Formats: sequence, C-alpha cells, structure tokens
Amino acid sequence: MGGAERTARKRKQTTQAARAVAAARGGNDRRNVIIGVVIVVVMAVAVIGGVLYTRNSSTSGGAGDIPVTAAHAQYPTKVEDDGTVLAGNESAKVTVDVYEDFLCPACGSFEKLYGEQLEKAVADGKVKARYHILNLLDRYSNPAGYSLEAANAAIAAAGTGKFPDFHASLFRTQPKEGGKGYTQDQLVKLGQAVGISGGDFESAVRGGKYNEQIKKQLEAAGNNPALQRESAQGKSFGTPTIAVNGTMVDLQDAEWLKKAIEQSGQG
Amino acid sequence: MAVGMPARRSVGDLLGTLVRFGLAAVWLVSGAIKAAAPERTYLSVQAFRVLPDALAGPVAAVLPFVELGLGVLVLFGVGTRVVAALSCLVLLAFVAGITQAWARGLSIDCGCFGGGGDVAPGETRYPEELARDTGFLALAVWLLVRPRSLLSVDGWLGLGRPARDGDDGDDRDEPVPAES
Repeated sequence: MGGAERTARKRKQTTQAARAVAAARGGNDRRNVIIGVVIVVVMAVAVIGGVLYTRNSSTSGGAGDIPVTAAHAQYPTKVEDDGTVLAGNESAKVTVDVYEDFLCPACGSFEKLYGEQLEKAVADGKVKARYHILNLLDRYSNPAGYSLEAANAAIAAAGTGKFPDFHASLFRTQPKEGGKGYTQDQLVKLGQAVGISGGDFESAVRGGKYNEQIKKQLEAAGNNPALQRESAQGKSFGTPTIAVNGTMVDLQDAEWLKKAIEQSGQG
Repeated sequence: MAVGMPARRSVGDLLGTLVRFGLAAVWLVSGAIKAAAPERTYLSVQAFRVLPDALAGPVAAVLPFVELGLGVLVLFGVGTRVVAALSCLVLLAFVAGITQAWARGLSIDCGCFGGGGDVAPGETRYPEELARDTGFLALAVWLLVRPRSLLSVDGWLGLGRPARDGDDGDDRDEPVPAES
C-alpha cells in the first residue's frame, strides 16, 4: 500500500464530503427561500385582509346622515367673543357653566340624565347656561380631531339659533370614543337638517372659525383651580364639569339643578 | 453516522413545542381581542402618547393582524427562528412602550389583552405588565436560540437539522437536496 493510493483515497473522501455539504446547503437555501416567501405571504394576507375587513365593518356604522334629535325645549343662544355659547335669559340669577366634549361618553350620560331638566330650566328663564364646548378628547377619535370639529360646528350653529337641536343630536347619536367621529360633510348636513340655511354655517364648519377660541377655553378650564377634581395623583380637569355660579357641583347629587334654583329663591 | 439523534431530539424538542404553542396562544389571543375591538385598540395605542396622531390610526389598524399573523406562523412552526426574531422585536417595542409610560408617570393600562387606555392613577399595573411581557419575551428568545421542535412545518421540510455529510439516513420524508 503506497502513499499515493492513500492520498488519492483521502482526496476522494474530501471531495465527496464537500459535495454533500454543498448539496445540503443548496437545499437549505431553497427551503429558506420558500419559508421566507410563506412568512411574507402570511403576514401580508393577515395585515391587508384584516385592515380591509376592519375598515369595511367600521365605516358602515357612521357614514350616513346624523339623525336629528329635537331638544326638550327651545332656548335662545348667543355666541360670546370668547367662543362660549350663552343660552337663555341673560338676566337669569343662576348661571350654570357646562364644560363638555362631543366625544366624551360621560358627557353623553350627563346629557341623558340632566339634559332635559337643564334645557327646560334655561327655556323657562330660571337659569342661564354657558356652554364651554371643548376639544379635550381630540386625540381619541380616529382620525384625531373630531372633538374640535364638532365643537366648532356647534358654536357656529349657535350663531344661527339652531344650537339646541344641533347639540342634542350630536349627543344623542354620539360617535364611539376611539371610533371615526363625524366628518365635516356630516356636520354640515346635520346643520341643514335642523334648519340652518345660508352658506355662513358651512364656511364656519369647514374653516374652523372658532377653533382658536375653543383651544383657549380648554386651556382656561385646565388652569381654573375651581374646576379641578381631586384624584390620587393630584387635581385634574375633566369633562363633563358643571359649575353653578362658579362653584363646581357634584353630579352624583341628582338634585343639583333643583337645589341651585331653590337657593336662588325661584323655587 | 446518525447515531443517538432520537434521544437528543426528544426532550428539547418537546419543550420547544410547548414553548411554540405557548407563544402562538399569546399572539392569537391578544391579536383576536384587539381585532374585535378596533376603537379600544386605537385608544390604547393613543394612551402611550408616543406616536403622532397621524400614525396612531394606521398602527392600531395593523397591530392586531400582525399579532394574528405571527400567531399562525408560530403555531405551524413556519420559519420558527425568523418568526421568533420578529416576535422579539414586537415584544421589545411593547416593553419599551410600557416602560416609557411608567417613567413619564402616565396612568394607562397597556391594553395588551384588550382594555387599555387611560386609567385612574391608582389602577396602573406596570410591574405586572412588564413581568408578563418579559415572560413572553423569554418564550420568543427560546425559539430564537433553539427553533427546533416537534410538529412543525420546519421539521417536515427538514430544516434545523445539523448538516451531515451525505443523507441524514433517518428521515422518511425529507426532500432530496438538488445537486448544484
């Protein structure tokens, strides 16, 4: 047995092994490509299909006209320079400041619970209400910004005298927090449906006529010490907040409005 | 050549299979809950106060289905190592989100399994949320380091087995590698 023979055998073994490794690696490469394609396809189908499905199922709810809800009583309104809406008789003894946001579910509950009492008291002239319609939850519609657009539209509606129905409608069929919110088109159409005519309202809605005043009102409310609620981490402002003659009231007390009227001697 | 393979395979691969099913369950359950409540998901994304408003919508729309997709891939064991790496990235993003919320003193619920959004200051549960996500991260890291497991597409394709010279000799259904 010579050295040449051993060398030849060794070389043969080496090439065999190298070829096997190359073959195995080539096979793995192809499998890796297949698996990579499968991963991309599965993720793409899941994401694109899912997003389309969500979009279809969520637009079907809020795409039509906003239903009109008549207020429980009609009352006169006036838009103040600061962007608040003064409702009712200006010489009424009791002033109820109402801080609310059209996207805020608790404000919807407030309107359901006390809206009728308040509207009637304002219409009777026993109290005047100052509505501070705020954009506190601007970030919580998708896309963001419904709170501001709805607030602006409601103030514009107040300028035409149709605030009571416009306001009641937006709270009665309130968009879900985290949902789409109504568009400018829908707000303009609601205005027409409650009887607003002329182009001023539409241009105010589309142009964001009261946006700056609304933002200033929110800032002022956030900085007003009389409107802060206690919580574990200090005081904070939230909606709805109701103040009677400047003092915040406890909405757990179902009689708050009745008491305020009684205390003013109007019983 | 292929001596002792079955013994080496059994225990680690069995554990890997359990880890895989565990991670798949995490993704499928959390993805399904988020997909079922898109408004809630958007609110919980916004609550972290990290993304600009314009991005929060798309992220909230996509996130549930990314989770579901990862869940399906992990469940069937397709490209386990790559999918585990993607899972790690997503989980690290969650951990970073919760950590920054805690550090900034926000009071939110992570919404990891539904719910989410702002909560009362006394109701945050950051340590629990982080511990839970760290546990999930451990599952993903296991599969990243040791992707091999039983009952997986990877296994059927013969992936993740050590390359040995010549044929494995122990595989019934392994495709023959093409000569190049």
